[in-house]
Amino acid sequence: MADKADNKLIGKNYTPPDHIAKVTGKAKWAEDFRADGMLFCKLLLSPMPHARVRKIDLRAALAMPGVKAILTADDLPKLDGPGAERALTNEPLYQGEPVLAVAAVDELTAAEAIERIDIDWEPLPFVVDPLESLRPNGPSARLEGNVWAPPAPRPAGATGAPPQPEIKTLKWTAEDFVEEAAGRLPMGKVLEEWSYGDLDAGFKEAALVLDETFVVNGSHHQTMESRSAMAYWQNGKLHIYCSTQSVVRTADNLSQWLGIPASDIVLVSEYTGGGFGSKGGGPISMTIPAVLSKKVNAPVMMRISREEEHYIGRVRTNMTGRVKIGFRKDGRITAMDLFIVQDNGSYGRWNDYAGAGNAASLMYQPLAMRWRGVSVFTNTFPKMQQRSPGPMQGNGIVEPVLTKAAKQLGLDQIEIHKINAPAGKAPFGPAVGPGGPNGKRPYVTSAFVKEALDRGAERFKWAERKAQAGQRRGSKVRGVGVAVGPHGSGSIGYDGIVTIRPDGKLYVQSGVGNLGTHSMVDLARVAADILAMPWERVEVIWGDTGKFLPWSCLSVGSQTTHAMTRANHAAAMDAKRKLLEIAAKDLGGSPDEYELGNARVYQRGNPGRGLSYAQAGARAIALGGKYDGHELPEDIHDFTKRSAKELAGLGLMGVAKDNYPRDGATWSFVAGFAEVEVDVETGKTTVIDYLAVGDVGTVINPRSLGGQLHGGSCLGIGHALFQKMVYDQHYGMPLAKRFHYNKPLTILDIPPTLDWDAVNLPDPETPVGARGTGEPPVGAGYCAVMNAIADAVGVDVFRRGPVTPDVILMSLEHGRRMHEPLKAHV
Amino acid sequence: MDILTWGHSPWGERILAHISWNLFWASLFAGIVFFVAHASYMVLSAHRKRSAAETDALEIEHRDLPPQIVRHSLAARLFHWVMAGAMFVLLFTAFLPVAGIKFPWVTWHWMAGLVLAGSILFHIIHASVWLDFWSIWVGPKDIPEFRAEILRELGHDVPGPKPGKYPLGNRLYHMAIVLAGLAVVISGITMMVRVRTPFFTRNPYLLRDTTWGLVYVTHGLAGVALVGLVIAHVYFAVRPEKWWITKSMLLGWITRRQYLEHHDPHRWAVESIAAKAEAQRSGQ
Amino acid sequence: MAVIHDVMPSFGLYQPASVADALNLLDRHGRDAWILAGGLDSFDWLKDRIKRPKAVVDLSGISELQGIRESGDGLEIGAMTTLTEVVRHPAVRERYSLLLEAAEHAASPQIRNQGTIGGNVSQDTRCWYYRTGWFCYRAGGNICYADTPTAMNREHAILGADRCVAVNPSDTAPALIALDASMVVRSKSGERVVPAEEYFIGPGTDITRMTILQPGDLLTAIRIPGTWGGARFYFEKVRDRNVWDFALVSVASAMSDNGETIERVRIAVNGVAARPLRLRAVEDAVRGKARSEETAKLAGDLAIQGALPLQHNAYKVPLMRNLVKRAIRGAEGA
Repeated sequence: MADKADNKLIGKNYTPPDHIAKVTGKAKWAEDFRADGMLFCKLLLSPMPHARVRKIDLRAALAMPGVKAILTADDLPKLDGPGAERALTNEPLYQGEPVLAVAAVDELTAAEAIERIDIDWEPLPFVVDPLESLRPNGPSARLEGNVWAPPAPRPAGATGAPPQPEIKTLKWTAEDFVEEAAGRLPMGKVLEEWSYGDLDAGFKEAALVLDETFVVNGSHHQTMESRSAMAYWQNGKLHIYCSTQSVVRTADNLSQWLGIPASDIVLVSEYTGGGFGSKGGGPISMTIPAVLSKKVNAPVMMRISREEEHYIGRVRTNMTGRVKIGFRKDGRITAMDLFIVQDNGSYGRWNDYAGAGNAASLMYQPLAMRWRGVSVFTNTFPKMQQRSPGPMQGNGIVEPVLTKAAKQLGLDQIEIHKINAPAGKAPFGPAVGPGGPNGKRPYVTSAFVKEALDRGAERFKWAERKAQAGQRRGSKVRGVGVAVGPHGSGSIGYDGIVTIRPDGKLYVQSGVGNLGTHSMVDLARVAADILAMPWERVEVIWGDTGKFLPWSCLSVGSQTTHAMTRANHAAAMDAKRKLLEIAAKDLGGSPDEYELGNARVYQRGNPGRGLSYAQAGARAIALGGKYDGHELPEDIHDFTKRSAKELAGLGLMGVAKDNYPRDGATWSFVAGFAEVEVDVETGKTTVIDYLAVGDVGTVINPRSLGGQLHGGSCLGIGHALFQKMVYDQHYGMPLAKRFHYNKPLTILDIPPTLDWDAVNLPDPETPVGARGTGEPPVGAGYCAVMNAIADAVGVDVFRRGPVTPDVILMSLEHGRRMHEPLKAHV
Repeated sequence: MDILTWGHSPWGERILAHISWNLFWASLFAGIVFFVAHASYMVLSAHRKRSAAETDALEIEHRDLPPQIVRHSLAARLFHWVMAGAMFVLLFTAFLPVAGIKFPWVTWHWMAGLVLAGSILFHIIHASVWLDFWSIWVGPKDIPEFRAEILRELGHDVPGPKPGKYPLGNRLYHMAIVLAGLAVVISGITMMVRVRTPFFTRNPYLLRDTTWGLVYVTHGLAGVALVGLVIAHVYFAVRPEKWWITKSMLLGWITRRQYLEHHDPHRWAVESIAAKAEAQRSGQ
Repeated sequence: MAVIHDVMPSFGLYQPASVADALNLLDRHGRDAWILAGGLDSFDWLKDRIKRPKAVVDLSGISELQGIRESGDGLEIGAMTTLTEVVRHPAVRERYSLLLEAAEHAASPQIRNQGTIGGNVSQDTRCWYYRTGWFCYRAGGNICYADTPTAMNREHAILGADRCVAVNPSDTAPALIALDASMVVRSKSGERVVPAEEYFIGPGTDITRMTILQPGDLLTAIRIPGTWGGARFYFEKVRDRNVWDFALVSVASAMSDNGETIERVRIAVNGVAARPLRLRAVEDAVRGKARSEETAKLAGDLAIQGALPLQHNAYKVPLMRNLVKRAIRGAEGA
């Protein structure tokens, strides 16, 4: 493995360089940008959940003074792939889908123009509940079908493009739906499944077998900044100011959506007011101002209102899951049979349901397991990955069963989690790869879940709190809950570019997005540590593809910290090698006789004999070739090459691809501990205390890690308590489109003592030791709180989230569950 | 003047909501204009008085008829007054709020509606089984009577048919009430599915948005028609020369003289005392 | 024609400096006028382009509508007094803490800084069908979308529904009813003072309005009599979130007892009907009774008589029952 850096910066708190702009209001968000002659555009949204445009009458709108142009779906480039979403459509698949955009001198004119547009609609069949679509004569959300079918197996020896997944029609029989009457999820035919181990034997061996259905709520991503964008064209290049999670990778996506080379796009996104997965590779809606500004030959600003953000701002997939689990007396899971119906929404192919299966197999390590799932289209808002897509929902389906089993077997919640916890290179999912079904199952790089549970139990004073649980004081009763959220947390193979310039500073090019996690700066700390550079002399370049950034990971899936610390480790190591070589060249001896310290390269043990970085930077320019970026490694991405060429000659360049080996898939884990108090006379739950303990590898930036653990936990707590989406089934229309209707968590809903900790054990499969952390706290927060509610008022009180006062009160009042057992979007 | 009120479905489609309340004012206005005009005409015109001698002669001819002739059975009178009560409750609960006098009216309205519907059902059965169902009906054979009535109204002394049990005006009015009443009752009962009552599970989605629009418009049109019809009816009921009819609706009978004066004994045959006695005897 | 729920449409903005001017404007514009107080309800409607008034009459410049004055043995609160001012006022704190609690439970601190007490009691319902712009009874149509076999109506009414099943969202309303407050309503034709209880109307009376205010009317002040100053109060609002959320059910009560038995009591609930409900039957039943668990149970059971839940709001029945029970038990018994 690579050199162990002398960590002066890693593991220490610091103030990221973008903070002052943020707190002083100087930071420019997408809608703060202006350009001469800029027009505004407004969107006409579909009034129906599924319809086709018969005729559009634009005459009255175009005749209005101040109206400059109208963009329809016909103006947008076609996109490949079944069911691909475009920014505008003539066949809307959900109410609120943009149909056309009007560019005018101001927003009032644009809005009034929209009111003068007459569209003749042909209503089409629609459905907002996936189970309704699976009924024998149920409606299909799309004309092509209602479910995703996996790609057909590739015939041996076939050449050309691999088979694509397809949209097919799947309906279950009336017999399949018999189970529904008992409130259990019907389990009809599915198109996807996998298994390992002997399921029947596992159930036979079990001392306790439970079979339960759970409805996991979907929810809007609800970023503070909506997906506004401004665009103009200059010298044949598109300049676009947008709100996205990723920078380099967004330019890449945009080039595909528009059919122009990425090199013709200058994309600026310096600050992003949250994405949570909804702006992963950039929102497709930004193609509207991009194309409209070309059509009208003027800059176009598209400000997305909160109402529009609710329509196009993406939503977590909701799922109804049914799981049958066999437990030994000691709580060990012998067999797990997991069945999931996923609401895929109107567009995209979301694999949350598969992620839920993989996560369940990893998190609970069942000795045998089968996963079956079906992803059903509905005429609801487009879904997208939301912070822990899949594992969070998997947690939701499995945890209530685990808690119930613990109660019935007389086990402590922590014990039942520990006995099933993954450790070390724990396997997950089905066997894949060359061995096929008989091959080896994939495994993680490392897991220290038991350590996290032990550490948390102690810090949370679990035993003490548990002793108090279940005792009623007045109308209040307390309960404790624990859950572990897993999530994949790192990719590999990206590039880093750093330069040491004659001004003596280290410039780190950061191609990822700035969504408030600080990972886009943290990655420079790794390079600075390797290069022994004081932090004051490090400049991080980010947020603008015009500033020559390297090929980077998408800032999604908790991968950034892992992927980009590795890439910058590689680039910094390359710079370090070059520094040592230049010193050896100038001062004699071999490179390994030199070392780095305090922004100098000098003879080992003799700091006086060496070069300052300013001198080294100037020497690199003089030497040229590989030293200042005029010769580049072969294996770096073309995007990186283009950027490096632009930066060549500015100083000593470290540029490299992350080629470090990795054995296993990188996953992180967070254990959540919750204590709640439920008022049995009102059904209201109050979270008394919460602790999140991360098993996320080496801690890079403690304060930011705390922020991530808190933020992710809060998202999960919100899902557990009240955050939801609601649809009117008769008209297929969304109802919860205001914050006070869909209820994201507020500051007063979290305990004042919200706490965090981390085991801080390095991952052995990455040079920096760090794994990502954004996502795993969500499932932990969701289920720790729900488990605590179950602990307080009973393990059978609810089988759907969020667990709102009505759910609890009705269940306690009637002595049995009274909530909707299967219906989605209630 | 708008005749209909339009709304929009949740999908933005234009749908019929109900009639415009302008129509209520129009109907109210029309009713009042009619009674003012008719009353003026009656006062100002030299209205034809029937000859007493003619009636005297008839009375001698039909001496064997009972002095009091039953015109409305108790059941028929009960029906009439129950229906009238229900109708007034319906009209006031429907239109006072429109006129600006606000109160919780819906429950009163549908309850009165049920009473009306029940009484109409009773009336239909009663009339078909026990009464001369066709005596109130209007048909082509009534044209000569219609002509004669109009001419008489205009002051001409014409021979020609006299009414049977029910004068033509009476029957025409009944016809209009049948049409408006059935429309209002059928649409009203359908509309009860839209509100909460103990009888149905509330289901506004029973019919499509557009069909509901038609139901509401039917109810509204029939309702405002009834405003005019009821005004006309009350007006005639209190006119002095029609008072003998109104009285019969209270007491059930008219005098033999009134019978002979206003009705055609062939078209409304009344049993003589002797015939009745005979019938009773043979029935024993 | 297409619909867009964004960008406030144009309207005439009038900013009178006196009540007299405001009344003249309201009279002149009649049904086309819109009264703007704190704007928190208004701007929702305006920005959604659902309500399209021609003349918006902004009351923020009328100083006579602002502030809290001693009035006789009670208080007079100007309709434009912000909820924050109500919460911070020493007399409210000392004698009418019921109102303080109710006002403090409204929305969020920012909203309370801007929202007024007049606006709080006069605001429109938050029924999500109605607020989405659907053409329901309340919007002039002839259907209630919230009471259909498939409707989503967890937040809707269990009592007093008449075609429309919306509920009143005000937090201060039940407290004002419990304090026997009265509302001062002025128009060009003069001034009316109505008991708080009668200020609110149900859909049976007028399905398109929440209060007695007719075009041309202006709520200018709220008077709280001395009668209930310093009484035993109870306020509770149950909501999903701890801040910035409307009540699922709320209860407000004022009570005086001699240590043993309840002598005088007023109790009101909100969130269960289109108007805040004063529970007279409960008041009559508990008057003269001991403040005991038994009386609390009696009160709770009596309160929910006649409740008719919808598909998703049956929980409001036990919730209202339990809150009324708690109101009788008092703060120490909760």
